[in-house]
Amino acid sequence: MLRTIRYAAIAAALGSAAQAAEFTWAETTDPQTMDPHAVNSAPVLGFLNNVYEGLVRRGKDMSVEPALATAWEPIGAGEGWRFTLREGVTFHDGADFTAEDVLFSYQRASDEASDTRSWFAAVSEVNVVDDYTIDIMTSAPNPIFPSSIANWMIMDSGWAEANNATLPDKESGNYATLNTNGTGAFRVTAREPGLRTVLEPFDGWWGEAEHNVTRAELTPIQNPATALAALLSGDVDYINPVPIQDVARLAENPDVNVIQGIEARVIMLGFPHEADGLKYSAETTDANPFADPRVRQAVAHAVNVPAILQTIMRGNAEEVSQLVSPAMNGFSTSLADRPAYDPDQARALLAEAGYPDGFSFGLKCPNDRYLNDESVCQAVTGMLAQVGMRATLDAMPVQNYWPELRADNYDMYLLGWSPGTFDAEHPIRFLAATPNEEKKLGSWNFGGYSNARVDELLPMVQSEIDADKRQGMIDEITKILQDEVAYVPLYVQPLVWGTRSNIDLTQRPDNFFILRWVTVN
Amino acid sequence: MTDTPVPKTAPVRDKSRFAVAMESDFIYAFKRSPVAIISTIVVLTLVLSAVFAPLIATTNPFDPASLNLMNGFTAPMEPNAFTGDTFLLGTDDQGRDVFSTILYGMRISLFVGVAAVLFAMVLGITLGLISGYFGGWTETIIMRTADVQLTFPSILVAMLIFGIAKGITPVEYRDQMAIWVLILAIGLSDWVQFARVVRSATLVEKSKDYVAAARLIGRKPGAIMLRHILPNVLSPVLVIATISLALAIIAEATLSFLGVGAPPTQPSLGTLIRIGQGFLFSGEWWILLFPAVTLLALALSVNLLGDWLRDALNPRLR
Repeated sequence: MLRTIRYAAIAAALGSAAQAAEFTWAETTDPQTMDPHAVNSAPVLGFLNNVYEGLVRRGKDMSVEPALATAWEPIGAGEGWRFTLREGVTFHDGADFTAEDVLFSYQRASDEASDTRSWFAAVSEVNVVDDYTIDIMTSAPNPIFPSSIANWMIMDSGWAEANNATLPDKESGNYATLNTNGTGAFRVTAREPGLRTVLEPFDGWWGEAEHNVTRAELTPIQNPATALAALLSGDVDYINPVPIQDVARLAENPDVNVIQGIEARVIMLGFPHEADGLKYSAETTDANPFADPRVRQAVAHAVNVPAILQTIMRGNAEEVSQLVSPAMNGFSTSLADRPAYDPDQARALLAEAGYPDGFSFGLKCPNDRYLNDESVCQAVTGMLAQVGMRATLDAMPVQNYWPELRADNYDMYLLGWSPGTFDAEHPIRFLAATPNEEKKLGSWNFGGYSNARVDELLPMVQSEIDADKRQGMIDEITKILQDEVAYVPLYVQPLVWGTRSNIDLTQRPDNFFILRWVTVN
Repeated sequence: MTDTPVPKTAPVRDKSRFAVAMESDFIYAFKRSPVAIISTIVVLTLVLSAVFAPLIATTNPFDPASLNLMNGFTAPMEPNAFTGDTFLLGTDDQGRDVFSTILYGMRISLFVGVAAVLFAMVLGITLGLISGYFGGWTETIIMRTADVQLTFPSILVAMLIFGIAKGITPVEYRDQMAIWVLILAIGLSDWVQFARVVRSATLVEKSKDYVAAARLIGRKPGAIMLRHILPNVLSPVLVIATISLALAIIAEATLSFLGVGAPPTQPSLGTLIRIGQGFLFSGEWWILLFPAVTLLALALSVNLLGDWLRDALNPRLR
């Protein structure tokens, strides 16, 4: 026994990765698909970051670092970017990685069938220069392009063609929905949707392993309390998230560690800007009160965010006034104040808009996506009822939730947004730009919010190199979104992970769990 | 026999009907069973407090506009740190008074339970009488359907029916419909017991002379079943109904616990237990404990009462 401990100590001291180390973890949401281009959501992209790789990747501090590209430089005066690819990289099935795979992955990820299309809104064309050089041309200078494609994962063209998976299939799925073939540090050896997904290290990985994991298993556990019980009993080594109410207790337990951080995710309420009438109202079916900015302003004043943070979030979250958190690049410091909680003002605004007696409507909410999402929606329902907006709450699992929103089946909805690029431009492109299939804009702007000035400013923000001028434009957009109450941002969700105390890992601020930073002691 | 009026001076009536009832074997057995007495007291207390919930409860937990979120997670009998309000059994995560919510939640649990059992009873008795009386193909079809349904756990049947019904109801009516769908789901999963018992009793009764006599004077099958056979098969039904009530209350709680029953804005006991379960580790034990104890007391005493009833009504056990 003593000897084992001594050996373990020596091994740890040498930083050796020689011990066999199995690692299990639990998350609330199972990745919907194994296809890196089918669904643009954090549970999918976060998981697949362990299996697939992009040209660039993000480090522990979110900085952009080389992955499948070793270097990149702008072409000319900002016509595009030239990427030099890493040589000697192989996919999990042994095929070589070349520029053809990058071109293929661009075509696949930017196709209409793909949910990741809007990442390539700025791209005009992609040219293969030679096997290990590729040019990505942009329609306007785009200084943030390399950092905006960290989640664009490269798939083997030969493998996709051989298995009839050249395009992603969101609805019915195809070979790539269940199988993977990336270049990443881990390969999927078993995949049972909703039950377990097994990863093993890929021997042929180009990088140097920092981890000592020999086998890893992901088990989705929907109920956070159950996941916590599994962590406490040692059945799993890591859970995400830890129920917010249990943080204080857990901190006293020597067997587990709680890792906390402020996540990039802003939780907000969205509206049906373009609807002609309310879908779930008993009386207001031929008019849409939410088309009136005063009604949306009333919602902003009616929700008591400090109370939600104090009780449901137990002081572990921060309120927010815009679509990004203060930690993001491009946050508008001058517009940092949220509308104050003021039910009287809300009632006055409703009366002014022609609804002195309020109205009834339907609030849609996920119940397994964000921290305490259903509780928050219930609280919002109560607060809105106090000023006369009587909501019927319909909370559902996330796999039913997105289709409902895409089918416009809501009068108000809850949404969380975490900018993959860590920049304020990201939510503007996805949530505030007028939806446009062709330009790949506004793909998560369910309500169809539209403002000509925002649409005009967005490409300017994308191509502006001067930081001050860029911030000025972002401030202008933020001001418009606040004045028109395009969304009602509520708070920034906290990030709470729990591990057994023998596990070392790094919590990345975007809530991605990177397996190659795990050490089992 | 019904046409002959009983003279008012008849010796059998020198005691009131109440007094006669009080001297029956049934009451005699009841008075000597502490279990039955305690169960009855518990059931009556709970049922009455559920019925008069609006008078007893300090708040209306089903009115979201009346809730104050800052009251959330207040411990029982301790003033809230922000509002200073005190609650007998504490509050849940939304600032709902647990005591009031239990009273209102119990209304849902009891209403769903009673209505589901009534529904199952009517359905089961009808089908049981028909299959017992007519026999042949009718019986085969009804009873084989019952056998097939018995092979599925009733909670699964209830979940299946609930899922289908939820899928076809429009969202704006879902909250109002949820309760009725629960009743339908639990009732449909529970009729088999009644049908089987009634059928076997009917088989016994229909060969007796009084049935033959009724048939000879030309009464229609429907009348014979309802007027002659039904009163004679009712006592086992009563026993099953009581035990089914306890099961139906638990089935409702289970469905709500799984999140497919009563909506979160109108919690029943099962919904409350589901909410409370999330706060067990964090120390807010009262959100789970009080609804759970109430459910336990309710289901246990109804069940004990059913057990006792079965013994009391069975002449062989006396």
